[in-house]
Amino acid sequence: MAQSRIMVIDDEKIVGDMAKMSLEQEGYAVETYLSAEPALKRLEEERFDVVVTDYKMKGIDGMEVLRTVRSRHPGTQVIMITAFANLDAAIEALRRDVHDFFPKPVKIKELKASIKRALEK
Amino acid sequence: MTENGDMKNAASWFRTGLERIGVRIRRPIPPDELFQRFRTVLDNNNRSLEVITDIGETLNGDYLFDIQYVRRSYSDLSAALERSLVSFDKLTEGRYRGIDTVYRSIDETIRRAIDGASPTKEGLVVFVEDLGDNAAGAIGGKAASLAELKNRIKVPVPDTFVITTRAGEAYMRHNRVRERAGLNGETVTGLQYQEAQELILHGEMPPDLYRAIERGISKLKKRCRGDCSLAVRSSGGEEDGDYSFAGQFETVLNVPADSAAVGKAYRKVLASLFDPGPVAYQQRLGYRAADMQMAVICMVMVDAAVSGVAYSRDPREAEDNIIINSAWGLGSSIVEGMVEPDQFRVKRDDPRVEVERRIGSKARLTVRVSGGGTELLPVPLAARENASLSREQVTRIAGLALTIEQHFRRPQDIEWSIDGEGNLSILQSRPLRSSDQAPESQELPSPAVVGEPLLRRSGRTVQSGAVAGKVFILKNMSELDGVPRGAILVARHDSSQLVRAMADVTAIITDTGALTSHMASLCREFRLPTAVNTGDMTRALIHGQQVTVVIDEQSVSVYRGIVPELLGTAGGRIARMEELAEYRKKRFLLRYITPLNLVDPLRDEFTPKACRTLHDILRFVHEKSVARLIDQGYNGSHSHRAVHLDLPIPAGIVLIDIGDGVTPISGQDHVASGQVTSLPLRAVIKGMTHPGLWRSDAVPLRVQDFLTSMLRAPDMVNDGAPSATASVAVVSREYANLNLKFGYHFIILDAYCSDTVRNNHIYFRFAGGATDLSKRSRRLRFMEMILKDRGFLVKHKGDMLIARLAGAGREDMESQLEVIGRLISYTRQLDAVLQDDDMAVRYAESFLEGVTGPKPGDEALTSGLR
Repeated sequence: MAQSRIMVIDDEKIVGDMAKMSLEQEGYAVETYLSAEPALKRLEEERFDVVVTDYKMKGIDGMEVLRTVRSRHPGTQVIMITAFANLDAAIEALRRDVHDFFPKPVKIKELKASIKRALEK
Repeated sequence: MTENGDMKNAASWFRTGLERIGVRIRRPIPPDELFQRFRTVLDNNNRSLEVITDIGETLNGDYLFDIQYVRRSYSDLSAALERSLVSFDKLTEGRYRGIDTVYRSIDETIRRAIDGASPTKEGLVVFVEDLGDNAAGAIGGKAASLAELKNRIKVPVPDTFVITTRAGEAYMRHNRVRERAGLNGETVTGLQYQEAQELILHGEMPPDLYRAIERGISKLKKRCRGDCSLAVRSSGGEEDGDYSFAGQFETVLNVPADSAAVGKAYRKVLASLFDPGPVAYQQRLGYRAADMQMAVICMVMVDAAVSGVAYSRDPREAEDNIIINSAWGLGSSIVEGMVEPDQFRVKRDDPRVEVERRIGSKARLTVRVSGGGTELLPVPLAARENASLSREQVTRIAGLALTIEQHFRRPQDIEWSIDGEGNLSILQSRPLRSSDQAPESQELPSPAVVGEPLLRRSGRTVQSGAVAGKVFILKNMSELDGVPRGAILVARHDSSQLVRAMADVTAIITDTGALTSHMASLCREFRLPTAVNTGDMTRALIHGQQVTVVIDEQSVSVYRGIVPELLGTAGGRIARMEELAEYRKKRFLLRYITPLNLVDPLRDEFTPKACRTLHDILRFVHEKSVARLIDQGYNGSHSHRAVHLDLPIPAGIVLIDIGDGVTPISGQDHVASGQVTSLPLRAVIKGMTHPGLWRSDAVPLRVQDFLTSMLRAPDMVNDGAPSATASVAVVSREYANLNLKFGYHFIILDAYCSDTVRNNHIYFRFAGGATDLSKRSRRLRFMEMILKDRGFLVKHKGDMLIARLAGAGREDMESQLEVIGRLISYTRQLDAVLQDDDMAVRYAESFLEGVTGPKPGDEALTSGLR
């Protein structure tokens, strides 16, 4: 079975670094981006199974990432993480068929479980 | 209320009289107001501890978090702590203003660190002995460790000054190194790093830095009477000890003590930041080499006859040995692998026992050359065959290695030297990384493979992990020193006293306890697998049984014997996260927040100045707040809602209710014990009035005893403060502060007993008493044995005994308070009959048997205890 590919977008380096380290341990191929622009560009080149994105970012935000992925890469699941528990954002994301929604700090174990479920879809 | 009125009048008269002769008496704060302030302190301390626990958990590698989280949490923490400090200041009426200064300094350091600024305000050059705590950011990890060695552990360290990271930055800016070499770009090439090195090596020294170095050198020269040369070496800025950077940067030995030579060596060391090796190492750890800051150590060279390295623990094997390598001359020949040194291995539990002695060839030795530099010379044949260390020297170095490890709470890698006169100096100490590998799998093997556990309990996980060892059930604290290495320590309560055994045990499990307790914090720091509040482990496990314990997030599972499949299943991710620079930077913050250095309130260094972390401040504030209450209970006027407590025993206690502590019947100034609703007081009364305990026939006091006690009476009442009140208890539903003049004893009991475990505490002070000194000390011995056995922290001084206990559950507290109640009644009669020391021991044993379960014995004794 091919290695699943995960993309992590967060404007704070620590989030991407920690996610990469823990997800690679699970055997995934992980790429991290500090902003959405290069990430979306990369998605045009390569297929990813799951995109984990921060909600609030400068430039293109997480909701926009979700919208783009849903319309251009329907096979890719999106998990959104956010600094503040934001109910409106969560509802909006669910409406747009987000796979999962986590407030930070995110328990890595739960993120892993969510990714596993996303891959089974 | 006539009696109360009289008491009030008497107190007022007394005060006016004293004021007239110029003695100013602090007017006590009304009890309920005092208690409110105390509660505000307590509540905010608890809130602070909760946030500290939360930050500690979130930053332990199990969560994705961002700087927003850190900012938000820290803002919560500082707000709670500041509220606590305000109330504390009111409570203690400004007596500990110093704590605010300490808090502000730590707070500023943390805020700077959160904002990514250098957490320092240190000057350009600073002597190791002048370094404050938490200076690692300013002087790098290596120099910070030297400061600890010299200032805290007080081991001999050669005279040293440090050129700080701030100085390094000043040098880089002065010479515009980053801009000119183009280090600020996205990608930096090897050529650019080379360019940066050239710029540093040939750069100009900023004038103020030059002057600061000059001053440092002249101060050093005065100390070594002009005859000294220096070792100039790196101390990386962000090194927090997790990564040693060992041997990565330049070291220049035997540098003449003049500014030109030191300036040159300084440039060389600073430039080594951009050597290809270090650049690669930094990148692997997630740094941009251009961002790394460096401090530089200038240490007086030891004229070394023999030097070497000590490992406080052998990193390669399970055996518990200390390894010492040594060779003639300067240590550089060993650390740079130039000679085959002698190797000694001694036992950790008894460094006098040599396990191995291997004499190396030691063919060459490094010596200083006059005028600067070093050279390698051949060693005469006879000296090659001789051991370079005597047995006594090996023992001394090993002992020091253990002391240093104990202080840093991690195995250490230590460099040392011995000069021609046999003086031992420590040149460096850094954490020794063990060779443990993080496990890949987090899943537990199936029961088919490992069998069902013997038992499983839910509890609170302080630190997860899977370990094997023999169960050691701690019955009383005096057994702590006998806990064997590798044991799984099982105790009734969590206690900071268990720290003593932490270096030796592989896991700690307790029946009761809280995640925010001091012990829990310490266990987290140690990464020692620990679970508290597991219910009945001391009863469910068998002492000496070999088991494998798995502590995970939900539960503690115990398996029979050693189950290799289970070991290393829980935890383990932590170490890997620490390979991330960003993660380490955030985690670095914790060092200003979570560690607890102020462990023992009975020691002299329990002062605001000694607080190094926010946790220390909380501890200090808590301890002094309790002390303040006790002090007020002792000295204050008690005229507030006072009623007499009627007990079936002669006690004469006046009750002051500050909130739901009694249910009085209106119009009556007497209450019966049944009307007491204060939880702690109820428990004490239950103990005091235990059937059969109070002997109606008074223990016969001989005439001499009686006279002694009469003569001593003013003394015991005094005890530092005048008091004209009867026995008094200030109570609320969950709190009781008792000041008892009971029989011939003076007793203070301050207890908080609620469903919130971490609020709970007992402070028990026993002083004075009739009869001669030897009998009194026998009584204290008796009480000390009992209280220690019950898990109290006990200290006695002269004829005063202080016992403390905190963090036990409500029921546990009630049972402890009941024991104290029994003790109070029991000892009232005891000293008159204690004829010798053996008797004190026998009585204590009987008492304990009576408490833990009746056993036949001295009928007169045990009848009162059942």
